[in-house]
Amino acid sequence: MTSLEPTEFLALSGALLGIGLFGILTRRNFVLLLISIEIATNAAILNFVYFAAFAPSAPLGLTGQSIAVVVIGFAATEVAVGLAIVLALNRAKGTINVANATELRL
Amino acid sequence: MSLAEIAFVLLAVVSVVTAIAALLVRELVHTILWIAVFFVDLSAIYFLLEAPFLGVLQLGVYAGAVTVLLLFGIMVTRKRIFSREAATGIGPIPTVLALLTVIFLATAFGELPQGSVTIRSYDPALLSVNLFGPNGPWLLLLGLIMLAAVSGAIYLVREGRE
Repeated sequence: MTSLEPTEFLALSGALLGIGLFGILTRRNFVLLLISIEIATNAAILNFVYFAAFAPSAPLGLTGQSIAVVVIGFAATEVAVGLAIVLALNRAKGTINVANATELRL
Repeated sequence: MSLAEIAFVLLAVVSVVTAIAALLVRELVHTILWIAVFFVDLSAIYFLLEAPFLGVLQLGVYAGAVTVLLLFGIMVTRKRIFSREAATGIGPIPTVLALLTVIFLATAFGELPQGSVTIRSYDPALLSVNLFGPNGPWLLLLGLIMLAAVSGAIYLVREGRE
């Protein structure tokens, strides 16, 4: 039986969300942008796992873990679509800098 | 300080450092290496939180599939994969915005129960029963969204598109 403090976990996921947000706001490379989004999404998944571990009842905790599984699936799907956009952008503009993606049509 | 707590603090420091390093290094391939360490580190945190199923899923999906996909994205979009990225500075406004978000989140900590809480462990068999039982519609929705994403991705990258 291990016991830990919830505050420490929330500090970690808050820090990860901050790092992801910083990357989304500053980076211009599409792959780095995707990585920043992944860091921020992982902070959210981590939150679901903590609150599942600290849940007052077993069904509640299991639902939290189930949601984490589904969110991991969503995040992986998002990376796949993001990379398709990277390839299309590279073919259309010859670069993956998002500052050059000025048209909606690729 | 218990052993689990020391392990958690170490893992948390490693995850924050690797996440920052991934965004600040100049070579994109090094970014991928740092982010792979980050994903493995998070899966270790899941094991610490007694969620072995999620830990294995994190290793398989993130450290395995997503890392390789990102590396693939870099390999096909540049001529020399070790070429450096142009330096983009740490802008003051984004840094302040990110810090403000963290501070805003930190203000909510007072509302939480203080002191350590015992971690509940779950049988993966029970998790799968819950996942396919009451949360089945979410899995179906995930499948539908993945199908739409695959067709959209194929449409975006197919040859000869006008």
